[in-house]
Amino acid sequence: MGIFQNNDNAAHHVALEAAQKEGTCPLSVNRATKEYLNGERIAVDDLSLDIKEHEVTAMIGPSGCGKTTVLRLMAGLEFPTRGNVESFGIPISGPAPERGLVFQAYTSFPWLTVIENVQHGVAIQGYSKTEQRERAEHYLKLVHLTDFANAYPDELSGGMKQRVAIARALAQDPQILLLDEPFGALDAQVTWEMEEMVVEICEDTNKTIVLVTHDIQEAIYLADRIIFFTRQPGRIKEDISMEFKKGRRFKRKEDLLSEPGYVEMEKHLYTLMREEIQGPPK
Amino acid sequence: MNNTVMTAPSDNNSAEAPEPAPLFKPPREKFLSLRGTVSRTQSTVLGLLGVISLFALWEIAHLLTPEHQQKFLPSVGQVTNKLFYLFTEKGYFADVGKSVYRIYLSFFVACLVAIPLGVLMGSFIKMRALINPTVGGLRYLPAASFVPLLLVYLGPTDQAKMALLFLGCVFFLVALILDNIEAVPQALIEAAQTMGAGRFHIVFRVTFRSAAPQILDSMRNMIAVSWTYLVIAEIVAATDGIGAVMMRGARFLHVDVIMGGILTIGILGVLTDVSFRVAAHFLFPHTRARR
Repeated sequence: MGIFQNNDNAAHHVALEAAQKEGTCPLSVNRATKEYLNGERIAVDDLSLDIKEHEVTAMIGPSGCGKTTVLRLMAGLEFPTRGNVESFGIPISGPAPERGLVFQAYTSFPWLTVIENVQHGVAIQGYSKTEQRERAEHYLKLVHLTDFANAYPDELSGGMKQRVAIARALAQDPQILLLDEPFGALDAQVTWEMEEMVVEICEDTNKTIVLVTHDIQEAIYLADRIIFFTRQPGRIKEDISMEFKKGRRFKRKEDLLSEPGYVEMEKHLYTLMREEIQGPPK
Repeated sequence: MNNTVMTAPSDNNSAEAPEPAPLFKPPREKFLSLRGTVSRTQSTVLGLLGVISLFALWEIAHLLTPEHQQKFLPSVGQVTNKLFYLFTEKGYFADVGKSVYRIYLSFFVACLVAIPLGVLMGSFIKMRALINPTVGGLRYLPAASFVPLLLVYLGPTDQAKMALLFLGCVFFLVALILDNIEAVPQALIEAAQTMGAGRFHIVFRVTFRSAAPQILDSMRNMIAVSWTYLVIAEIVAATDGIGAVMMRGARFLHVDVIMGGILTIGILGVLTDVSFRVAAHFLFPHTRARR
């Protein structure tokens, strides 16, 4: 583990201890329902889900299936109408640095340089100036942005901006990294690079990650477990373990494609997706 | 990046470098090509051309005026001569200084009121619900209608003039700054929240900081409105200031003095505008690339 595994962070310790208590997991959704417009639209319907530690969980489903809503409930940016969401056994009462979030929209602060952006999140956690700098440099290196430390976000490409967002979220040392369609606005080739970078990050940090995506290949490539959502109201259609990967992470995406079981998995997910979009086969 | 993944074959034409293809000559751009492009020199020349045309039109209008009425439309030369005379013989510098002082001080106070109000309302919806209906309504009261009231309250003082200038821009400034703050993307605020930032951190170091370039722009636009109120403020019971000099000129039908005053205000307005732009350039380096 790197020097930034940071075992002296008090909050980290408390939560880790809590995690070791029996029956607690990083995130647990308990019979959550989220209604909008006074119940006219039900985004999430009586949904329960436990996220396992150190796993990458992908939430996938057709547009409007409530997967992003579930992620926002986990982040604490919204609250459920019924039920609750807990993190390590503690009900979530709002956003917290323990749950870092990378948005689909570009959220780097345009008035700060790349390294200042990463430092900003670290500074809020109360690290000393030198630690801030060290952490920011470490995570910029992790996302291959060291050469652009002093550029402003507006000078960067979309993929680079998302890398800043990932570095910023990681530098605040979250226990859980939430990714909300982080590559949704990027082109295919950049998305591919970013996906391989996320695999590197998984190797390096072993974070618990929850990823929202609409890209079937991306979900299979990155996830240890895929939660497939039904459309309106959002429920869990299938909870699929990526057992065919046998716990391995693939540095190169194409290596996964020739893995036995991959094609079947992809086909299965496409079938589920078609069912959700067009209804069950006739 | 991981260069084992994404490299393209690129060394298949290194054997002998052939003659490069001839330069492509794009079709000549028409003067009125849609949207089109403009170089720095071109835009300077065109800008100057506009200014010169304005003065040329003025000069032509003067020459077309019958001789016995020409004193009502003096030439460019006559007005600049008069300005030179005012500066050297009549202590016009003090008047200009006084007007500038009134504009800047009143505008500074207006900002002291408007920025906190705008930030407060833009950050907290309940404060907006409390304050905005009132302040929003005040915009529809014409500032000039306050002149008699201010005269009764404050008499022929500097404060009366600055109070008018203040009233002329403060309510609009609040509305503009409120808009600027509300235009900050929600995602920036949410990103700060997920970093663990508190409300005050977000208000001062995210929302305000994010809107700051636009707020400065709003200020630049509103101080221009302040300049337009200057003469109204200095019409009544004023002994000094550019407006007072112009009013005195009017009493003796000295059109050259009036036009000199207008010219002075125009030039000062442009200088103010430029100084705000220069300030933005240095205060917000991240916006340079976009301009």
